[in-house]
Amino acid sequence: MSVSQPLAGTPVSPEPTEEAAPKSAGPQERGRWAARFADMKRTWYFFRRNTLAVIGLGILLFFAAIFIYGYVYPAPSTSSINYCATDGPPPGLCAPGQPTVCTYPQGTSSPGPGCYVTPADFNNFIAPTVSFHPLSLGPLPMGSLVSPAAGGTAVDQGHFFNLYDLLLKGTDWSISISVAIVFSGALIGLVFGAMAGYFGGLIDEVLMRLTDVFLSIPGILLIIVIVIAGREAGIGGFTDDVTLVTAAFIVTWWPTYTRIVRSQSLVVREQKYVEAARASGASNSRILRKHVIPNSVFPVFIQMSLDVGTVPLTLAAIAYLGFIIFPSQLIPEWGSIAAAATEVIPSLFQYCATVTSSCVIPWWQILFPGIALFLFAISVNLLADGLRDALDPRLRR
Amino acid sequence: MRMWIYIVRRIALLVPVLIGVMTITFVLVSTIPTSERIASYYPANPRSNPSSPTIECPNNPAQQCPNPAYKIAVNALKLNQPIPVQWGYYMYNAFTFHWGYVSQTSTVGKGYSGLPPLKGLPVTNVLAAFLPYTLELALLSLFFVLIISIPLGNLSAVNRNRPIDQGARVLSFSGYALPAFILGSLVLMAAALWLAGGSSTSPICPNSTAFNEFYGSWPAISPTTESTCWLWGPKSGLTVYGYPTWLINGYQSTPTGFPTIDALIHGNGWLALDTLARIILPALVIAYGTIALLLRFVRNSMLEVMNLDFVRTARAKGLPESVVIKKHAGRNSLNVTITVLGLTFAFFLSGFPIIESVFNLYGVGRIFAFSLVQSGGTFDFGLIFGTTILFTYLVVAANIIVDILYAYLDPRVRLG
Repeated sequence: MSVSQPLAGTPVSPEPTEEAAPKSAGPQERGRWAARFADMKRTWYFFRRNTLAVIGLGILLFFAAIFIYGYVYPAPSTSSINYCATDGPPPGLCAPGQPTVCTYPQGTSSPGPGCYVTPADFNNFIAPTVSFHPLSLGPLPMGSLVSPAAGGTAVDQGHFFNLYDLLLKGTDWSISISVAIVFSGALIGLVFGAMAGYFGGLIDEVLMRLTDVFLSIPGILLIIVIVIAGREAGIGGFTDDVTLVTAAFIVTWWPTYTRIVRSQSLVVREQKYVEAARASGASNSRILRKHVIPNSVFPVFIQMSLDVGTVPLTLAAIAYLGFIIFPSQLIPEWGSIAAAATEVIPSLFQYCATVTSSCVIPWWQILFPGIALFLFAISVNLLADGLRDALDPRLRR
Repeated sequence: MRMWIYIVRRIALLVPVLIGVMTITFVLVSTIPTSERIASYYPANPRSNPSSPTIECPNNPAQQCPNPAYKIAVNALKLNQPIPVQWGYYMYNAFTFHWGYVSQTSTVGKGYSGLPPLKGLPVTNVLAAFLPYTLELALLSLFFVLIISIPLGNLSAVNRNRPIDQGARVLSFSGYALPAFILGSLVLMAAALWLAGGSSTSPICPNSTAFNEFYGSWPAISPTTESTCWLWGPKSGLTVYGYPTWLINGYQSTPTGFPTIDALIHGNGWLALDTLARIILPALVIAYGTIALLLRFVRNSMLEVMNLDFVRTARAKGLPESVVIKKHAGRNSLNVTITVLGLTFAFFLSGFPIIESVFNLYGVGRIFAFSLVQSGGTFDFGLIFGTTILFTYLVVAANIIVDILYAYLDPRVRLG
């Protein structure tokens, strides 16, 4: 969870409110859209001058492309078996009885196309190989990942996954989960925060003490405790607890948004146009819907864009502590991939101390999921920073 | 207003927060099945298993009879009472540090030679034994956070939009965007491989592995062979398992509980250095993530302060720029830094279960991580909820300290 700085005095557009303008007034309508378009063009002009933000946008567009591609890309195979059948491994890599069609050129230094290079001791771990075959990244461009679900020590598991497949599919899940969490949290925060700020008094006091309570429990611990309690109570019941984890995240995430919206709506409440609306007989709910919430939404937007990057990181931390949403073929979420990889490291090091020959430590299993998480979080952060600078007139230079 | 009145008022304001936190944990605890609640909140009796509602009938083993011990336990925990009574009893227990018992099925300590199983011990005792280690780690990483983020934030505010500022920005972003366990694992692997330098045995302790020089809170030496670490000589101050002799029960360091201080008290300087060296890497990893949050606030508050009139006056007086930055602007921007530090403390503490697990350090966070991963898919509820309450207490305590510091630094706060 991140602490955000409430942006005081964000621009409040003094344009006429919807109820004043007739719905299908031709030229007026067109004029408003033209004004909005011009405003967007101006924002883009200021945004474009921030190099880091443009880089962030570029990386994010790349992830968006992968997100769409993930729907047409086949689901990652659960084990090595598929790869054994299609590409074929070197001798000894496949389970007995599996077809091994690979022609590994024994004794030659370079492996043939479609073949893996295996380390001496751990033939379960396949190091990244990049072959510059046209239209192919090689059989395992990012190496393999040994699934912890197979159990046992690092030395004797059976199942391993192609890390490249997992990361590709993981994009979908990581982004979907984090967007769902952030949108729900922001929605709750918007309603509660606007109410607290607008009505004040008892509602404000109760809601703010409630956020105090939630914010003083360390986030990861609260999420885990909620997930555990939910599991025990039988809530969720979904495979791999995705719903439950998402719900726990929302419970943990809403106070931050509530605080932000409240501080914003405290400012909005005192504005003249709210006074005017009240004088013209608008009801409280109408003022909240039409004036307070639309005018307090801007800092929420910034915080949301920051949190979209933060949620996969927290999800990864939760996975590392044992709540892996991973080995279900369909849900290879990035953090769970990295968490699955880190589990074998200590036992592997202890094992390596006992063997005399050189030992391969699968660094790629941690590094590549880490890079995916890092790039996503950093691009979202840079983009949010750029947006804040471009949208806030005081920061435009 | 006097300082102590202010402090008393701040503490009084925290009571509703604590009650709220306990109510949340009470709601969550209530979802646990009764048998498991008994198992974690009632001292186990080896002769009768109070957590099972039925037992084999004494006269007919094929049939199930009601378990008298279960009934006694339900009565003792007031689980058959109305919800408000249960809530009140839970509150009473939470505030008087009766946090239940470590589960009888707990496997904590089994995989770690020299550490006896914790099963059946009171949660409070276990947490009290492990807390000093976490505190030492927290203080060290807090120290790193402060000595890096404040000068760097001031520097990037002074050199606004210059390469130093951009570099600090990238540094803070990258710290924020890397999960602690990925960074920690990579650092651990790199450090072990660097120290090993091709061979797997440690150059410091021939009987140990290079990995174990960074992994674990104490030097792990083979229990079968004599230790010949050149750093602290053959077996000086270490038991046969490689743990210091002042570690009672294998995990509780005496007399203070802080590993480095205890080693110094017992006169083993090398071991004190070793325990300190083992927490430097994890402290740096935690600090790296927290600096990211703090740096931006330090920079912004410094920028704001530097535009104020008194800074201009100081410059107009002809004071050297370094004095203006350090004495006038720097001190006044410290308020914001401390406030943000208090706000980020919950985030800061969330990292401890992870980083202690990555580096296998025996602190409270490690115990929390252990209580989540049990054989057979059961959780150790006593430890889980106890740790959650403890961490919340730590956050609340940190917030009080921050408030007091804030009032001390800025008299307007306590006067206004």
